[in-house]
Amino acid sequence: MSDKNSPFFVGYLSAPRGLRTFLLVACVIFVSGLGGLGLALGVAQDDPGNGAFRFDYGRQTVTGVVEMTPYPLVRVTEGSERIAVGQTLMLSGQGKNSVISRTAPLEGQLAKVSGVILDRGDLEMMQLRGGRNGISGVEGEAPAMQTEQLGRWRLAGEICDGKCLAGAMRPGRGIAHKACANLCLLGDIPPVFVTTQPVEGHEFLLITGPDGTALPESAYHHVAQFISLEGEVERRGDLLVLRMDPDTVELIR
Amino acid sequence: MNEAEAILMGLRIWAMIGAAVAAVFLTIGMDRIDEDAQGAYVFRPLLIPGVMVIWPLVLWRWYVWETGREAWGRRYDPPRKAHFAVGMILPAGIALIILTGLALRQTWPADVAPVQLLPAQEVSQ
Repeated sequence: MSDKNSPFFVGYLSAPRGLRTFLLVACVIFVSGLGGLGLALGVAQDDPGNGAFRFDYGRQTVTGVVEMTPYPLVRVTEGSERIAVGQTLMLSGQGKNSVISRTAPLEGQLAKVSGVILDRGDLEMMQLRGGRNGISGVEGEAPAMQTEQLGRWRLAGEICDGKCLAGAMRPGRGIAHKACANLCLLGDIPPVFVTTQPVEGHEFLLITGPDGTALPESAYHHVAQFISLEGEVERRGDLLVLRMDPDTVELIR
Repeated sequence: MNEAEAILMGLRIWAMIGAAVAAVFLTIGMDRIDEDAQGAYVFRPLLIPGVMVIWPLVLWRWYVWETGREAWGRRYDPPRKAHFAVGMILPAGIALIILTGLALRQTWPADVAPVQLLPAQEVSQ
């Protein structure tokens, strides 16, 4: 038989006198411990950056030349109050969906694109509206767009999906975001390489496979890891494009 | 198909089967296994996500009940017996996962500078 004089806590009655000190100490340790653990885990996380959907800009509509890298871009020839002529926008659809099927028929042609901007520093993407409201061909001859070759580079950094990194998710990079990033890349969202230090003034580069191919499958394993790789870099407007060499990828320890 | 696509397809197939199981279980099975649920419908859509996740367990429990092997008095014995061990393993496991993740986490190689290996004209196309 248990000792009938032992204090016994029942939730709907006031705490027994003999257990009050224990209860108070346990509560303080429990609450402060959880708070401390939460603070420690939060402090250990990387800064998610300032990327965001720019709904405050309102819907943006610009005209430009559509290019496929094979990921779709538009080189702006008629801008808006927020988007200047000469800027290059990566294009995506809603959610984790690409707009390649809508942009490919317009490659090299003038098109009007409309949607909401995602912005993170010098990285800009437009999430297009649906159907012809999002992209449609424009009468007129497309001006020739220059692509400046910048040579072969060895870079260190991280492969991300361009949409989450630009602000669709916070954080939009890092190992905790890897599954989301790979789902975006499977949906042909433009991938982006974040460099440790700026290349020609840019820390974000659109990354593709070699010779105009899509990001190779082998690169998916290295998404969100800190790696070094080599590839050819080219400048398209204000966007750098890195054509990676899959055989040069190395994990940085 | 790469590994990521295979995982995604597997999850989709799992969810589709789960949705089919949920449709049948929540319209037919629930009335058969729980007389208290008969005539009650508003709560059933709330169970759809859970059934989609654990549909094999739902099917197994339903089969056990239909075959008359259900011993409801013993249903909770295994979970009760495991309470102590699980109560110890769970927090220790969570702490181990967090510490392992922090230990294995890479450090951003901020000191590695970009290097131009070849200028533009020498790049082979």
